[in-house]
Amino acid sequence: MIIDHPLLGPRDAAEFVYKGDASLIDRPDGLAASADEMHDYVYLRDNPAGEHRELWYHEQGDRSWLVVTRNTLTHEIIRVELARGVARERGRSR
Amino acid sequence: MAEFHFTLEPQPSLGRADITIGGNRIAERTDLTIVSIATPQGEEEGLASALLDEWGIAVPDPTRSSRAGEIRALRTAPDQILLIFPHANPDAEASARQKLNGRGYTIDQTDAWIILEVSGPNTLAALERLCPLDVASFSEGGAGRTVMEHMGALVLRLADNQFLLMSASSSARSFLHAVETSYRNVL
Amino acid sequence: MNQPNRIDGGLIDRETVLKFQWNERWLTGHPGDTLASALLANGLRLVGRSFKYHRPRGIFTAGSEEPNALVELRKGSAREPNTRATTVELFDGLYATSQNHRGPLEWDVMAVNDLLAPFLSAGFYYKTFMWPKAFWEKLYEPMIRASAGLGRLSGREDPDSYDHGFLHADLLVIGAGPAGLTSALAAARGGARVILADEDFRWGGRLNSESYLLGDRPGADWAMEAASELAAMPNVRLLPRTTVYGAYDHGIYGALERKTDHLPDTGGTPRQVLWRIYSKRALLAAGATERSIAFGNNDRPGIMLAGAVRSYVNRYGVTPGRKVALFTNNEDGLRTASDLSAKGIDVTVLDTREGVHVVHTSGRKALKSITLSDGRTIQADCLAVSGGWSPNVHLTCHHRSRPVWQEEISAFIPGSDLPTGMTVTGAAAGTMTLGAIVRDAHAAGTEIASDFGHRGATGSAPTADDEPFDTKPFWYVQESRARAWVDLQNDVTAKDIRQSHQEGFRSVEHLKRYTTLGMATDQGKTANILGLAIMAEISGRTIPETGTTMFRPPYTPVPIGAFAGRARGKDFRPYRLTPSHDWAAENGADFVEAGLWLRAQWYRLPGEKGWRDSVDREVRTTRSAVGVCDVSTLGKIDIQGRDAADFLNRVYSNAFLKLPVGRVRYGLMLRDDGFAYDDGTSARLSETQFVMTTTTANAVTVFRELEFARQCLWPDLDVHLISTTDAWAQFSVAGPRARILISRIVDGLDVSNEAFPFMACTACTVLGGTPARLFRISFSGELAYEIAVPARYGNSMIQALMAAGKDLGVAPYGTEALGVMRVEKGHVAGNEINGQTTAEMMGLSGMVSQKKDAIGTAMSGREEMARIDGLQLVGFRPVDRSVALTAGAHFLSRGAPEDMAHDEGWMTSVAWSPELGHSIGLGFLKQGRLRHGETIRAFSPVRGQDILVEVCSPHHIDPEGVRQRG
Repeated sequence: MIIDHPLLGPRDAAEFVYKGDASLIDRPDGLAASADEMHDYVYLRDNPAGEHRELWYHEQGDRSWLVVTRNTLTHEIIRVELARGVARERGRSR
Repeated sequence: MAEFHFTLEPQPSLGRADITIGGNRIAERTDLTIVSIATPQGEEEGLASALLDEWGIAVPDPTRSSRAGEIRALRTAPDQILLIFPHANPDAEASARQKLNGRGYTIDQTDAWIILEVSGPNTLAALERLCPLDVASFSEGGAGRTVMEHMGALVLRLADNQFLLMSASSSARSFLHAVETSYRNVL
Repeated sequence: MNQPNRIDGGLIDRETVLKFQWNERWLTGHPGDTLASALLANGLRLVGRSFKYHRPRGIFTAGSEEPNALVELRKGSAREPNTRATTVELFDGLYATSQNHRGPLEWDVMAVNDLLAPFLSAGFYYKTFMWPKAFWEKLYEPMIRASAGLGRLSGREDPDSYDHGFLHADLLVIGAGPAGLTSALAAARGGARVILADEDFRWGGRLNSESYLLGDRPGADWAMEAASELAAMPNVRLLPRTTVYGAYDHGIYGALERKTDHLPDTGGTPRQVLWRIYSKRALLAAGATERSIAFGNNDRPGIMLAGAVRSYVNRYGVTPGRKVALFTNNEDGLRTASDLSAKGIDVTVLDTREGVHVVHTSGRKALKSITLSDGRTIQADCLAVSGGWSPNVHLTCHHRSRPVWQEEISAFIPGSDLPTGMTVTGAAAGTMTLGAIVRDAHAAGTEIASDFGHRGATGSAPTADDEPFDTKPFWYVQESRARAWVDLQNDVTAKDIRQSHQEGFRSVEHLKRYTTLGMATDQGKTANILGLAIMAEISGRTIPETGTTMFRPPYTPVPIGAFAGRARGKDFRPYRLTPSHDWAAENGADFVEAGLWLRAQWYRLPGEKGWRDSVDREVRTTRSAVGVCDVSTLGKIDIQGRDAADFLNRVYSNAFLKLPVGRVRYGLMLRDDGFAYDDGTSARLSETQFVMTTTTANAVTVFRELEFARQCLWPDLDVHLISTTDAWAQFSVAGPRARILISRIVDGLDVSNEAFPFMACTACTVLGGTPARLFRISFSGELAYEIAVPARYGNSMIQALMAAGKDLGVAPYGTEALGVMRVEKGHVAGNEINGQTTAEMMGLSGMVSQKKDAIGTAMSGREEMARIDGLQLVGFRPVDRSVALTAGAHFLSRGAPEDMAHDEGWMTSVAWSPELGHSIGLGFLKQGRLRHGETIRAFSPVRGQDILVEVCSPHHIDPEGVRQRG
């Protein structure tokens, strides 16, 4: 597989480490969240046949975490974004 | 016991390796100092102007190194730069820290890396056996970080048949072996 | 003449004679020959025995699709089985033998299997060996193992070397026949960066085997000129002897280049190179494969595909026989007759389209005669067969695209859903006449060049005729009563397919698995279509309704050695050395692999007999005087930024916000599910700078998670990470005399307990100005420091420490002594923080602050994780002090039955304590903290141990921590 890194261009997937569903960005505040919310965040994932937003880490590259939108049926990669930007878009800050 | 005296001897990772294979050369560079500079959030412009003012060097593009005389800068992360330059004393990081004056977070990384300068007519062919990046299409100064034989590595093109290869100093012997094998396999 | 079947012409160098050995006989051939063409030139038709029935078999094709002529090459440990004679380039001294027979090839005793054929039909495995059950292990399995397989592996280490590599292109052209060469020329002339790969050693594909004219020249001459033009272009990479074996995601192709297989001497360079080709576009120009017709005894040596006969005649100057018959269902097959006639060899033509069928053949070890449907018998030593051609669509299917049936050529052509970036051209696309092939290929190459924005002149396509190509489907001679072979490699007959249908295995995927049709090295390249056409006929469906099996990589077999590449022996993976490695090696260290690291596990002194002698001494020395251990392998992460303290406060479960500058704190990391993840220390060097240590094992993953936290969870925190693990040589200096030793090393630093107490840290210099860092931390429980210097000084630094501490009785210690001392002290390590344990279990619940939201805090409070009767870390000692404890033993109450229901925990770590003089252990025990003083059983059925142990505090020595604070 090749991931088209937004800063570095196409890079072999061998340089990356896969983490999982991009929903891991949406970590609830542990002090405020209910047990159910925390449980859902830690354990529950969607498993779509089709487009999936997922986290990849460019460990043997520039150490960026990326959000890769990939079609799980065809492996087509539709979009690659810096996860830091995605996190900010989703309202994460400090 | 009287006062203890002992002079610490530096030992380069590969004992100043200098190997000739065919008409090609693999040489350990021990004259270069490496200082890593991280960009404080919101200080992107401040750091850029500090680099220009203090070293006369530009912030490098993600896929290229920048250069001012003997100083080179390259990116290791979106918010991190390596400054590589000849420097005889171990105070490079302290002086860089002083020059930046809060516009960048510095750390000395000289000893974290092994630097090999490789050159010669079979260099591109050897790199084909080692490096997944398309280094043949790098222009001079082109740079990238990738993985070679399971080891993280930086590659920087100095000239047509001349590259700097950098990898972790603890696995220096494995890295040299990988580079050497690549040359031997294409002769 | 010693090559009786050598005739005029061909693309071989007759001036040079090559000697080679076949079954220990010396024979001759010429450069340009394959082993197959040389064997045929020498009049040899029988070259092997079939897989199941050990039927005599000959050369069937002239290419990589060969099902029959599998041979063993080379001798001794270099022996390689199952090599296709049709692809082996002849060289001087080549040594080859036939395979799959007992006794000489001509008198194979296993040929008795052929008489047992009625019992060995499709699915016999699944039926015959079912009963009696007791026979399986004693009789059936040994029998099957003895007769299974084709060639023999040497059973020894492969003496050859292999390599891998990476190539990049705009366009990868797969196949260098007329289509591949034409399109590569157009694209390269236009300016695209092109790689052209072909499995053959000669450029041109079928042009070398046919008598076509291309651009008014013989096709082979045109191919040579085209290849020379390409070779001279800087934007072209030519890969001869290279099979593109797989199409992977996003324009990655796997290719195997056979670098030195054709050379008598490899010169020590790799034999084969496995390329990973990154290409934006690919043109599949893999041509087509001829298929056979099923009729009685159609497997005798001397029966071969019609196109292969033309290859031997036109390319190699060899005739496979002197009395040749041709059995064809198509126009192309007729070219075999005309090409042979041109060489003065008469051919009898039998065309299915005229109603003539071959029903049966005779000849024990090679073809002698054939019997026709009209009753005639014809003498023949070669029968050329053509059932039409099938496009080589294999690579188009590697991303699950299904080929589609095209009636005009009675063959499957590539489907529409191709791998991204792939285009198919030439015969592989179902274009079956030369003129159309080169016109299409030229257009395809030109278009791809312009897609890349290149507008260079691409020239024009060479001129060629569109020769007639008329095929009338004909698969199976119904009148044949003898066995009609479909898959020669797996000995599958038309009858087997009929049986498969009768027994309900009708889908092609079932057919394949039930009969083995299309399996093994050739993957049914010449057989698949025939097999499914027969299945279609029997089941009354059309061929497209019957469908095809899925093609997967590799296209042709790839040696395992090529996948391994250089990663063999000690180069299997990189190794990491500590800065003091060389000194350790010179001073009796035995090394242990810890991840990629090689660490000294103990230092053997003269006179020490076993490892325990060394380890016990190292522990005693450290506890009574001073010991030095290289701890550089611990992960070290430099953390800087305005929010660095806040960040640490969120990733450690305990508080870090208010850690003063110049102090170190032990920190515990949890995962977000609340379980313990890693531990270590973090030292605050300034308001904005910390140095964190992680365990050696988790250094990489902790760094990764910290990057995740700073980029994805709190993207606006000003915090920056860089690994400094390799930058520093770090030594633990531990023991009651550690302070004296350290004071001799540092430059003007007050290291008294008052000035530099337990958990202090500072930057300093040592030995006259070398920059250093000093930490007062202890893993052994002794008064201890860790001193770090730049890695280049590490090997010198340990010598300095040894010299400075000589009068103090200093000794180096390794990881074993380190382990013993931490078990004595009751510190947790990887055996305890194993991913299944919690802070509560380890007695560290005080380190989980409930006042802040750190990773894992919320979930660590779950009810089940704080059960009152949960597992808790305690210490153990044997009631009989002379007995050694066993890690992994399970705890049972005295008198409890030995089952899981009564399991009360397990022993995680054990050591022999020199200080206490007996074995000690750590482990998790239900409600352990309330059970100090109780005697229970440590039960280890695996090690055969069942002993009584006493529960105690995990802190076997100095529970108050007096020593480390002193």
